[in-house]
Amino acid sequence: MTTDELKSATTGYGLAVGTPRLKSIGPITFSPDGILFVADSANATIYAIDVRDTDAPSQSQPVEVDNLDVRLAAYMACTRDDILIRDMAVHPTSMAVYLSLVRGRGGSAIPLLIRIGEGSSLREVSLEGVPFSQAVIEDAPGDDDERLDTRVVLGDQEGEEIEVRGIRLRLARDKLRTSTVTDMAFVDGMLLVAGASNEEFSSTLRRIPFPFEDEARTNSLEIFHVSHGRYETASPIRTFVPYGDNLSVLASYTCTPVVHFSLGDLKSGTQAKGRTVADLGAMNTPIDIVAYQRGGEEYVLVSNTRHPLLKMACADIDRQEPLTHPQQPVGVPREALPQQRVSRMASANGAYVLMLQQDEAGDLHLRSYDSDSL
Amino acid sequence: MTSTSAATTATRSDRRRRLRLDWSRAHGDEQLRIRGWRDPDLVWLRSAAEEELSRRLAVVATDLVEATRTVRDLPQVAGRFEVDGDEVRFVPRFPFVPGTSYSILIGPAPGGAHDAADAEQWTIVRPASSGTPARVLAIYPSAGELPLNNLKLYVRFSKPMSEGWAVRAVCFRRAPDNEPIEGVLLPMDPELWDPERRRLTLLLDPGRIKRGLAPNREAGYPLVEGWQISARVERTFQDARGRPLGAAAERRYVVGPPVRKRVDPAKWQYRWPPAGSLKPLLVGFDRPLDRALLEHCLSVVDEAGAPVIGRYSIGGGERWWRFAPASPWRPARYGLDVDCRLEDLAGNSVSRVFDRDLTLDEDDPLSRARVQVEFSCESPGVSAAAGVRLSRVSAGLSAPDHAETTARTASRSCSSSQTNSRHARS
Repeated sequence: MTTDELKSATTGYGLAVGTPRLKSIGPITFSPDGILFVADSANATIYAIDVRDTDAPSQSQPVEVDNLDVRLAAYMACTRDDILIRDMAVHPTSMAVYLSLVRGRGGSAIPLLIRIGEGSSLREVSLEGVPFSQAVIEDAPGDDDERLDTRVVLGDQEGEEIEVRGIRLRLARDKLRTSTVTDMAFVDGMLLVAGASNEEFSSTLRRIPFPFEDEARTNSLEIFHVSHGRYETASPIRTFVPYGDNLSVLASYTCTPVVHFSLGDLKSGTQAKGRTVADLGAMNTPIDIVAYQRGGEEYVLVSNTRHPLLKMACADIDRQEPLTHPQQPVGVPREALPQQRVSRMASANGAYVLMLQQDEAGDLHLRSYDSDSL
Repeated sequence: MTSTSAATTATRSDRRRRLRLDWSRAHGDEQLRIRGWRDPDLVWLRSAAEEELSRRLAVVATDLVEATRTVRDLPQVAGRFEVDGDEVRFVPRFPFVPGTSYSILIGPAPGGAHDAADAEQWTIVRPASSGTPARVLAIYPSAGELPLNNLKLYVRFSKPMSEGWAVRAVCFRRAPDNEPIEGVLLPMDPELWDPERRRLTLLLDPGRIKRGLAPNREAGYPLVEGWQISARVERTFQDARGRPLGAAAERRYVVGPPVRKRVDPAKWQYRWPPAGSLKPLLVGFDRPLDRALLEHCLSVVDEAGAPVIGRYSIGGGERWWRFAPASPWRPARYGLDVDCRLEDLAGNSVSRVFDRDLTLDEDDPLSRARVQVEFSCESPGVSAAAGVRLSRVSAGLSAPDHAETTARTASRSCSSSQTNSRHARS
């Protein structure tokens, strides 16, 4: 990219050319004009990166990849067990598929982005010298956070010495509390970020205006939902999707209810109450939610650990009264689709839905479905 | 360039070549060195462009080879081949994984068939990491009884660990036959770790714990009151270098009744220290509390709101918290500062009941971020302690000499944003 092009890429969004140093990688999502948002929970940071993907779409539908897990493992010189795919997103103009993943485990794990383009070609998305900006998740503990686990240590191998009222102590500070980003979406200039704490059990949704300000400030919202008209509760949001011209959000929680709330609710106060519209049942965990259009109507798909791929009409969600009686069927009508063992999903401009699908042998494939077929 | 050949062995699947593989390192890069090429090979290798080399040669993990042969061409591999004299070196973009077997696949000569099934294969194993295996330092809760609606389990390891093992290598088992209890732990993706990946947080399926939800109605609670169970961490749990634990670990529990009340500091018991002494402040809880949150949700502040420096310890199965000051207590007022996020084992916090029954007024949430319990340290012989319910003090508390302790300081500051503190006493 030329200097002029770099300058052009950095104008408007306050991006500066540099190299984001990811310590971890989680959910990713694109803005409509191709800014990729990358969640790095270990750094308590969201990066906004101009991936400079200017390729025109070369075919009418997004790519499909047979044996994606094998190809990824071969590309990264490791076994399939050494790869954890975190999330998937589709570039809004090139239609290339982006995966966030971790290669390797533990201290040697490498967080990275992979782009799948024409002809199922894989390539690492280089983060060297890219236009980017970043926002710190406000209520995640920083290095000087008061909630650090502070230990008195012996010797001088770790920690720092302080003197308090004549007493010299050597303190080491370990950061134990983390806020793990579970999902993100970009809605009308606002990045919505759902997270889960590794300590308190709560439901917070952060709202981060984009472009990120110089000292990016986020605010978080606690979201409660009522179970069957009687029990009010909070739970980390596992996955969510905006729909209905970005006026509504459908969220799935770790405790399984599917809850609707309006974006208007999110714009005021520090607490919001969602409307429980479905309860997906036992021994099952929703993995991902995606919205798409078919025949002028909007639908959502929910992939699950045990249940089949479920389809719901957004009109039914909007019509659904809050669940008040714990009888079956519970909530919004849903249809089971035939696609088996679907994990992550991504919408390609609403016209296609991409799915990571395992076959019966356990091999992973990337499939693309025309919305009219779903 | 250095090389390590002692630990490497090569296998061959084709008798036309006798290739020798070993690991080497040059310019900071780990490399796979391949020697023993025939003269016609070398002629082609030396003349081939890098792109041609990458089309005909591939280095992949050996367990991919069978799967690789289901695709038409050799896979795309991130890295580069270098030809130097009579050897070929593969420099991977990503480091080789310890303990993993690698194969070099050599495709048919240009102009021949393009089916990867015809590829010649040579294999070598990357040496496994060495060193002391990791171990489980603790499993929390450490109380002997779990409430029926217990929400969390923490596992502390001695070394950084790998992700992806939480559900595979941690389970609950039921006495006496020690059979695993299925569906207790919630699979989390991503897993909940501290930044160093030494402490893992596991959630018991909250959908089965919350009243009224379909999972609770259909499958019931994850645990059953009266059961004797154990939480077990299997040895297969891998550390950051891919090695198993030195030993499995487990903690035994009996399952008790559910707990569904807010955590209320007014119901705790306190033993206040006398002024001039270094005696600890002792706080006894009416139920076991969440270990992780206890580590930073309590602190002692002076009249000005400044933190009092000292050490704290937690024990009794997370039923007490003891704070020993670094310098003697002054004859003054102090406060025990309580962050309202502090939870019990069932996820009830100072603010809220985990699943609040809207018909019960006493379960109404507390709209505060912190509460403060005030106390005064008086000179020895003066029994009054302002702001303290003396009737609650010290009953049932015992000296925590034998219990586990962690040397800590209450260094957390109290900022002006904590102005919504209140006295916990009524």
